[in-house]
Amino acid sequence: MDSWVFITADGWSGALEAPRALGGRVVAVVVGPRELAEGVAAAGPDEVRWVEPKPGVPPEAFSLPLADVVAAAAPAVLVAGADPAARALLGAAAAALEVPLLPGAVGLAVEDGHLRVRRALAGGQTIETCAPGGGVAVIYAGEDAPAATRPEATIEVLGLTCSPLAIGASEPVGQASGLSDAERVVSFGRGVRAREDVAIVQALADACGAELACSMPIADDLGWLDKSRYVGRSGNHIAPALYLAVGIAGAPQHLEGVRGARIVAAINNDPDARIFQSADYGIVGDLYEVVPALVAEIDKLDK
Amino acid sequence: MRAVVVYKWSRNAADALVRADGSIDWRNAKMSPGEDDPAALAAALRLIRGGDDELVGLTIGDGDASWALARGVASTWSVEDLPALADNGSTAAVLAAAVRRIGGVDVVVIGDSRQEPGVAAAVAGRLAWSVVLGAQTVEAVDGRLHVTRRVADVRQTVVVPTPAVIGIAAESDLDRAPGMKELLAARKRPVNRIGLADLGVTAGDVQTLGCRRPETAPARVFAGDPAQSAAQFVSALRAEGVL
Repeated sequence: MDSWVFITADGWSGALEAPRALGGRVVAVVVGPRELAEGVAAAGPDEVRWVEPKPGVPPEAFSLPLADVVAAAAPAVLVAGADPAARALLGAAAAALEVPLLPGAVGLAVEDGHLRVRRALAGGQTIETCAPGGGVAVIYAGEDAPAATRPEATIEVLGLTCSPLAIGASEPVGQASGLSDAERVVSFGRGVRAREDVAIVQALADACGAELACSMPIADDLGWLDKSRYVGRSGNHIAPALYLAVGIAGAPQHLEGVRGARIVAAINNDPDARIFQSADYGIVGDLYEVVPALVAEIDKLDK
Repeated sequence: MRAVVVYKWSRNAADALVRADGSIDWRNAKMSPGEDDPAALAAALRLIRGGDDELVGLTIGDGDASWALARGVASTWSVEDLPALADNGSTAAVLAAAVRRIGGVDVVVIGDSRQEPGVAAAVAGRLAWSVVLGAQTVEAVDGRLHVTRRVADVRQTVVVPTPAVIGIAAESDLDRAPGMKELLAARKRPVNRIGLADLGVTAGDVQTLGCRRPETAPARVFAGDPAQSAAQFVSALRAEGVL
């Protein structure tokens, strides 16, 4: 049962490893710079097929030509991670093969000769087992995989004519706040009721030796912190050892910015707040009582 | 420019009930506007500059189709007998058939949903159109689409020929509630109600063999006396080596 894995950006290890459980050949289709293809090849898939976009050409420009290649090879399983460009390639390939496309896949297996897909539902509260009944395309949403020790794959160059998509302009997103390499980040949201109360959260950040950050509305709508300090889909994407969210409900757009955090902790007065579904640790309580108590507790550590 | 905005095309997973054994009850999870639908609609409305420009809505399921009509869309189509499906490819095949049925469409704007991240891509695949996902804005310039999106720490503008599918990823979850005047106006706007048979498609789905609870430990949440909770919390973070 052969699998093709579409890769356009870093963060591919889990998607590449998942189809190993099926026992067939794993072919990585890389659309991106040479360093990306070399990194994938070093992880030891059976083959790497590499498309190098010319400067100014986005990976999506190859979605339709690649779909023709996939249709000719007809692999049983197609895999991509969450990266938008990789999903664009997967969508075209799945349509070409007319196979089901299942999101949220956390595992693939063969049971009694039949393909099975395990996928996370309801925010990861349950794992569903699906029987696609033939080939399938999946969007992998499981854990990253540890580095494999397999022979390095050779890289075969795929020469394809691309669709006329072009990158017209690129500009860096402001990241001068020091959040990107902070070991600890304390962040707050609309649970903080007034601008002068930001000092309460700042005191917690100081006690933790953390950078102070916020959710998008705090910077964008209220202007209580500079826009360079908000975390989320359109703001900072950070990977601290500790991300402590104070009075933040946990909208998916916000959580997308802290996917790389090792430990997510949260303080919220609503026990059903979405942030607790993604947090490792939490306190249910009024932040105006809990935060000073935390500062006092952390101060004890220094004495 | 003729644009289609796809809205209210999936169930809200937050309304699903997960039982202790991991089985899931979707009965209370109706088709509802997705978290990216307001941003997709806002982006689609900005594409329409008057003249011959037209924005058409497209939704699925038998619920209220007026969400987009009350927010500036002049007419909409509803595929009424398409249920919520696990298979994003099957959902996309029906949406693509509906786009063909609407006809003369230059661009499809749809929320790039985190919950159903395969649909926008598969709609493009089924139509064999260009696609950009994870987009923030889309603008028509000289017959092409200028699509902005963020890639790592870079904001990028991608120039895309039409026809194309643009998947919009919301930057925040704020929706603008329509006023009474807009709600009343929406009732007078046309809804073209069609079924799978009208489109000549079927909507198969994958077989589900069952659900179970994940093995990962749930969050450790402390509650009660603030001082005691703070002490337990700090102790736990110290044990993790992050404080």
